[in-house]
Amino acid sequence: MSEDDDRSPPSDLGCADSESSSKTRNCSGISGSGSTSVEVQAPYPDQVLENVLENVLCFLTSRRDRSAASLVCKSWYRAEALTRSELFIGNCYAVSPRRATTRFTRVRSVAIKGKPRFADFNLMPPNWGAHFSPWVATMAKAYPWLEKIYLKRMSVTDENLAILAHSFPSFKELALVCCEGFGTSGLAVVASKCRQLKVLDLIESEVLDDDVDWISCFPESHTCLESLIFDCVECLINFEALERLVVRSPYLKKLRLNRLASIGQLHRLMVRAPQLTHLGTGSFTTLDAVQGEPEPDYASAFAASRSLVCLSGFREASPEFLFAIYPVCANLTSLNFSYATIDVEELKSVICHCRKLQTLWVLDTICDEGLQAVAASCKELRELRVFPVEAQEDFESPVSEVGFQAISEGCRKLESILYFCQRMTNAAVIAMSKNCPDLVVFRLCIMGRHRPDYVTGEPMDEGFGAIVMNCKKLTRLAVSGLLTDRAFDYIGKYGKLVRTLSVAFAGDSDMGLKYVLEGCPNLQKLEIRDSPFGDAALLSGLHHYYNMRFLWMSSCRLTREGCTEIARALPRMVVEVMQEANAVRDEERRGFIDTLYMYRSLEGPRDDAPEVVEIA
Amino acid sequence: MSYGRKITLKSSDGETFEVDEAVGSESQTIKHMIEDDCADNAIPLPNVTSKMLSKVIEYCKKHVETPKPDDNDELKAWDADFVKVDQATLFDIILAANYLNINSLLDLTCQTVADMIKDKTPEEIRKTFHIKNDFTPEAEEEVRKENQWAFE
Repeated sequence: MSEDDDRSPPSDLGCADSESSSKTRNCSGISGSGSTSVEVQAPYPDQVLENVLENVLCFLTSRRDRSAASLVCKSWYRAEALTRSELFIGNCYAVSPRRATTRFTRVRSVAIKGKPRFADFNLMPPNWGAHFSPWVATMAKAYPWLEKIYLKRMSVTDENLAILAHSFPSFKELALVCCEGFGTSGLAVVASKCRQLKVLDLIESEVLDDDVDWISCFPESHTCLESLIFDCVECLINFEALERLVVRSPYLKKLRLNRLASIGQLHRLMVRAPQLTHLGTGSFTTLDAVQGEPEPDYASAFAASRSLVCLSGFREASPEFLFAIYPVCANLTSLNFSYATIDVEELKSVICHCRKLQTLWVLDTICDEGLQAVAASCKELRELRVFPVEAQEDFESPVSEVGFQAISEGCRKLESILYFCQRMTNAAVIAMSKNCPDLVVFRLCIMGRHRPDYVTGEPMDEGFGAIVMNCKKLTRLAVSGLLTDRAFDYIGKYGKLVRTLSVAFAGDSDMGLKYVLEGCPNLQKLEIRDSPFGDAALLSGLHHYYNMRFLWMSSCRLTREGCTEIARALPRMVVEVMQEANAVRDEERRGFIDTLYMYRSLEGPRDDAPEVVEIA
Repeated sequence: MSYGRKITLKSSDGETFEVDEAVGSESQTIKHMIEDDCADNAIPLPNVTSKMLSKVIEYCKKHVETPKPDDNDELKAWDADFVKVDQATLFDIILAANYLNINSLLDLTCQTVADMIKDKTPEEIRKTFHIKNDFTPEAEEEVRKENQWAFE
């Protein structure tokens, strides 16, 4: 699942493979002496186990189980390496392509993550790295049977896509999430050369417009396409070609159009693909009104789409067309309105029908009253994201602790929340901690810096403290508002399962960071910005950094000397220091570095860092 | 009830078993022998003991007799009971299922062993299967580090 505040629901490419029946058929079968006739006398149990091990290990899918199996003994290490078909690389710089492909030789599916999340907010230099090139070059030789690639926050070029298209004859699924560096030419090569392509998902990626009609490049006969997601593509699509493509793609279940698709075009596609389960509606308005033509029956098209469970898009949505989706609301499990500036009444008219909804992404234009309507109707809600239409600090946001509390009272099964607002109270946060014990992800963004409890004027320490205390399954936390070191004390004491922590504009002193680094044994990813933590705090985490995927600290109080000391103490950490070259530095920030990004690596410092990145 | 003609299977230790052709055909190995017209006399299975063969036949019979095997809760429960045997027997069934090419039985037994591995630490796995750790401490640490830093 995508864990970030993207606008689009995640691709499910990263999830477990739903292969039918015998997984063992993919394996080499029984290994052993090579002779087919086994001795009549029964072999010793551990010898037999070794013979059947590869078959058995095919059924181990979780990474943790595979890691454990690889450590049992040498023959298990070898068998596990031979049977790992899904390779996950959490940080593309922690391991080299060569090391990965040498150990795992029969991989069919690869997932690679590159830049840290704060790169999304322009906090990283543009050519920082995370290049797909070395990976695709190595995999082209090592994995001729590769079927799936999932990349997140990687830099991908058209050349990379061409190599991919030419190197993997069985290639079936490509998902590019938050990637950049490629364009429509690259997509064209993939579409035309990957004849067995089932999935082409472009999510929150930047796609360059090379004026190439990639939609026309898919195979002329029936395609294998099951999922085509291109809602982030900002170039015009050849609509006639898309229509023909949909008609000759009988297996298509997921289709997400970009914002340049009109509602008229949507209609034409829907009537040709009533079997869709996931639909991105594009603009959901008339972009070029054609005079004299009768208005298509939009509601009818939705009514005919009996399998629709996930709806998104609404990029320029006209409220006048909203009624058309009523026929599918009863079956919807996921609704993404995060681009639709709909108001309270419009939201209410839709949401009252959505009894099965589990995932809802909305804009704060629905106001507290809209959230109350959600709380009243959506008892099955698991994930809620409320985005700000105006992400400015001094704006009166229409959602507050009132809507937040209503959600906590109505949606008791809530597991994940991302909530942007301008004001909040400890009481509302404490209420949610008690009403929603299943929370796994809690991200509260009180915009405006250091905002206290709106009613009491107190810091927001008690609210976040209650969350870590009462939500026993919590693994991801983002904090905001006026927070003292006390809040971090709570996190260190109670946030024992927390793996990802985001901190912005919070804390009083080094103690805050120390509490977290000393108290949270499962911490994997820590991203901090604009908080007063310095070298002493940084050094307090020495015992733990090798256990973490990364640490990000920007606009804090770290010095070059502090970074050098860490690098010396932890020789296998790659300590990247980024300093904006011509920044006007006020008195307060002199002597402090802009950004520290550090991560453990088996390979030592990378050789592709741009000039602005200094490796300590 | 008769499912067509009967065939005879002969285990490695000389015992013979008469079964319906449909039951025997659950094994792709046996099915091919029948198709190749080699089944007039007893089909010799030198890699399968009588103990294993009777177990396998029990499985195949049950699966042939059950309607809608892919969607049957009772059958699933029966399968779960079928694999409640000691480790040595379980491994022997895997070997037999592999040799006789009975995919559903191979999946069932391998999944059962995999379930014994799930959520365990390396040491717990070693204890479960009586396996000796032949890594040096340094080598083990290197693998642990590589797993954690690169692939988890």
